[in-house]
Amino acid sequence: MQARTWIGIAGYVALLLGGAVVATLIGGSAERVLIVFFVSLIAVLGMGIYSGNSGILSFGHLAFMGIAAYLSGILTMPVQMKQVSLANLPAFLGEANMGLLGATVIAVIFAMVVALVVGIVISRLEGSAATIATLGLLVIVHGVIIGARDFTRGSQSFFGVPRLTDLWVAAGCAVLAIVIARLYRDSVLGLKLRAGRDDGLAAGAMGVNVRRQRLIAWVISAGIVALSGVLLGHFLGAFSVKKFYFVDTFALLAMLIVGGMATVTGALAGAILITIVTEVLRRLESGLVIFGYELPDMFGSTNIGIGLIILFVMWKRAGGIFDRLEWDELIFRRTRTAAAPEEMPHAAEEGHTLRAEKVTKAFDGLIAVNEVSVAVGQSEIVGLIGPNGSGKTTLLNVLSGVLPVTSGRVFLDDDDVTGASSARLAGLGIGRTFQNIRLFTSLSVKQNVAVAALRQWPAASGADEKVAAALAAMGLTDKADTQASTLSYGDQRRVEIARALALEPRFLFLDEPAAGMNREETDALMADLKGLCQTRGMGILIVDHDLPLIMRLCERVVVMNEGRVIAEGEPAAVQKDPGVVEAYLGAKGSQQVADALSS
Amino acid sequence: MRKTSLGLLAATALAAAGIATGASAQDVLKIGAASAQTGGLAPYDGPAMEGFKMAVDEINAAGGIGGKYMIELEIIDIRSDAAQTAIAAQELLDGGINVLITPSDADPSFAAAALATEAQVPAFSPGASSPTLPLMGGDYMFANFPGDNVQATVSASWAIEQGFKNAYILYSPDTQYTTLPLYFSDVFAALGGTVAGQGTYVIGQQDFSAEITKIKALDPPVDVVMTAAYEPDFPAFVRQLRAAGITAQVIGSDGIDSPTTFSLGDAAEGVVFTTAGHPTPGSDLEAFFAKFEEVYGRPADTIFAAVGYDLMKVIEAGVLAADSVEGAAIRDAVAELEDVKGVTSAITYKGTTGMPVRQVTLIRVKDGERELVGQPSPDPALVPAPRMQ
Repeated sequence: MQARTWIGIAGYVALLLGGAVVATLIGGSAERVLIVFFVSLIAVLGMGIYSGNSGILSFGHLAFMGIAAYLSGILTMPVQMKQVSLANLPAFLGEANMGLLGATVIAVIFAMVVALVVGIVISRLEGSAATIATLGLLVIVHGVIIGARDFTRGSQSFFGVPRLTDLWVAAGCAVLAIVIARLYRDSVLGLKLRAGRDDGLAAGAMGVNVRRQRLIAWVISAGIVALSGVLLGHFLGAFSVKKFYFVDTFALLAMLIVGGMATVTGALAGAILITIVTEVLRRLESGLVIFGYELPDMFGSTNIGIGLIILFVMWKRAGGIFDRLEWDELIFRRTRTAAAPEEMPHAAEEGHTLRAEKVTKAFDGLIAVNEVSVAVGQSEIVGLIGPNGSGKTTLLNVLSGVLPVTSGRVFLDDDDVTGASSARLAGLGIGRTFQNIRLFTSLSVKQNVAVAALRQWPAASGADEKVAAALAAMGLTDKADTQASTLSYGDQRRVEIARALALEPRFLFLDEPAAGMNREETDALMADLKGLCQTRGMGILIVDHDLPLIMRLCERVVVMNEGRVIAEGEPAAVQKDPGVVEAYLGAKGSQQVADALSS
Repeated sequence: MRKTSLGLLAATALAAAGIATGASAQDVLKIGAASAQTGGLAPYDGPAMEGFKMAVDEINAAGGIGGKYMIELEIIDIRSDAAQTAIAAQELLDGGINVLITPSDADPSFAAAALATEAQVPAFSPGASSPTLPLMGGDYMFANFPGDNVQATVSASWAIEQGFKNAYILYSPDTQYTTLPLYFSDVFAALGGTVAGQGTYVIGQQDFSAEITKIKALDPPVDVVMTAAYEPDFPAFVRQLRAAGITAQVIGSDGIDSPTTFSLGDAAEGVVFTTAGHPTPGSDLEAFFAKFEEVYGRPADTIFAAVGYDLMKVIEAGVLAADSVEGAAIRDAVAELEDVKGVTSAITYKGTTGMPVRQVTLIRVKDGERELVGQPSPDPALVPAPRMQ
């Protein structure tokens, strides 16, 4: 955890507690407005833990708020009250009479268990499918609450909850929520989930189990939202199931979206802005006198106002007010980077091989890779060439687990790894880059590399050193704190390679690493790669259209055309192969190509 | 817990200061209304507050209550939601009001009742008719409408008088009010009728085919169907019932006393329901409706405007009797009020738990107009005891 994170947290806490002190001095309605604000803030922070870091908007979190509000209300409600209003409660609930703390703990844990069960399904869904599933969750829980009349009084008012949420309880819980949300965001778990949000495919290839990360975030966020539900119930004293449905979902999402989903600062800013606007508009609703003119009552204007704010912010700043960086990250740009170790970490033991045997990949009718058998050995650089559409990138995707094989087998040493996920193969020592650069665009260069370096966290330490070594190896040390998406094309390619190196791979797949680089950059990159291959003992499988580069760099070249291997061998032999020349330019141009290749 | 007690102390001090300033401005009665100006309860709370404001303006124009206490009214919209009611009521109480008006339904009113009792400020719901509201809501909670149990006694007695023998009741456990048919069932059975069946629905359900199939299958056929469903459920139900060829007498309650019911055409023709009053020629209510049209430029269309007006008359009588705007004093005075002259009925709180004794009116829908069936006084021995259900 960076010192910067703690500065950020100290800032939030000072703001919250300062607000609470001021409200205490003003008293009365100021206190109540602030309690409602704290409760909303906790809910928004909870929703942000999941939605902000995973990039999946959730409509379902108020379900957990409702579950926790009802359960904790049942637990704290005086027994006499329950005998009248909830006469059919089972005895163990009907006779329970707990304090706020005990009820909170039970309600939050219960909501997290529900979240875990639901999350096992939802974490498997992508993008809008996941969002729709959360919507379904909200509707289902709403229906269950109405149906469970004996526990909830159905859609009638649930009243008689002791009003135990005072300003300081709410402020304390808000501080707790903000600390958890920020620590999670900047933690290894948060970093991995954010990497998955920016590019799920690349995150998987860097060893991140995106589904598991989503599930963890979902359960934590449900717990925080449940906490806000407990506080809300014990603030209002009476509520109905309507409180945990679309209208309030909309209001809380407005805070999250306007402020910026991806940051804790955004959640705070959004909650402040929407609360102020709501309070102002709510007062306008009851009519207003301006310069002697009496404005008419405008009941219903609050929701319209919030809608307009969302439209305006989305128009001007689609990611929200704090769309990417926390307030402290905006102020303190630079971070501490560990010194690169003198010695490169060595990948390991002797004699590894990666072998594909008769691997086939078919997309419906199209066979992109057809019974291809290749092998890469330790410290060996193998070139993979062929015309556009010959199946090179598909082969890399199959070998790295990004695409499942249709038939054939893949072996790592003697282990059959056919069908293993990209995250698992990353763990087994296969690193890769992508043809169309796939960086985690919202993260800094260093964070991009760290995602891969932290693959074994928390089982292994030394991630800082791995990051530093990988950055140094690719000459990126002085660009460590730059946002990845702002780099030049060539530098982005280098970051991808550095990221793959941080996995300490035994085999590295490079898909057109030199595309977009000039001759000097290409030569420098090739020198670096050759050095890495030697010092780290890695096997490299490289795809590129720069044939002279391949011919100089590789000890062995595999040529593909129309999904099949048409030639394999030493560069000099392969480039004279008439079949290869024909595949590239047709039989007529053979001589020119042969000349070009040998020049 | 130390912090809590400090906070409480501060709040108490502030509240005391609020009361002190209220006391120094002796000539103002501050009324706060946490009222449903939007949402499902707006058809009742909207007119109720319009009628209430009329009374406030009349009293203020005449120099205040007893020429002494001017009235200040603040309305906050609670969007027909219980949680919003709690927030709005708390905000109004913080502002130092002397009287609180809650929504026209028992459910959100429960949210405000505990707050009002704690602050010792009397609270009144203009249209809530569930007798459990003042019972559960505490000493400071009053309602201003004929109770569900009283309305049900009147309509069940009328049904027996008409010779109906087999009843079917349709109720929704979603709110206290929509369980009114259960009271009807008790009285109808006590008077010798048979309750042949009962069905439930969810508020907003719209499709009643399952219930109607049940009603159709009953043998012998039912001759009366009783429900407290209101918009949008009642219009849907009665249309589907008639479309299925069931001609049994339909009995409703005050929730359908709205212009919609009278615009349903054949489907609602002949429906009888209980409500709070009827503008017979020469009555105070007729005069009130005329005045309402004069003030607002359109007809009132519903009894709730008059009920809102009467509620202010009740509060006026309470303040006069107490000769004070202090909440506890007003509460004690209202609890002893007898025969307050309202435009809908004479209103009595003395001897009740906060549900007024007042006339119940039976109305029939005839040719899209309201026809007075009668304004009978229920037999107190028949009125079922209030209960949560």
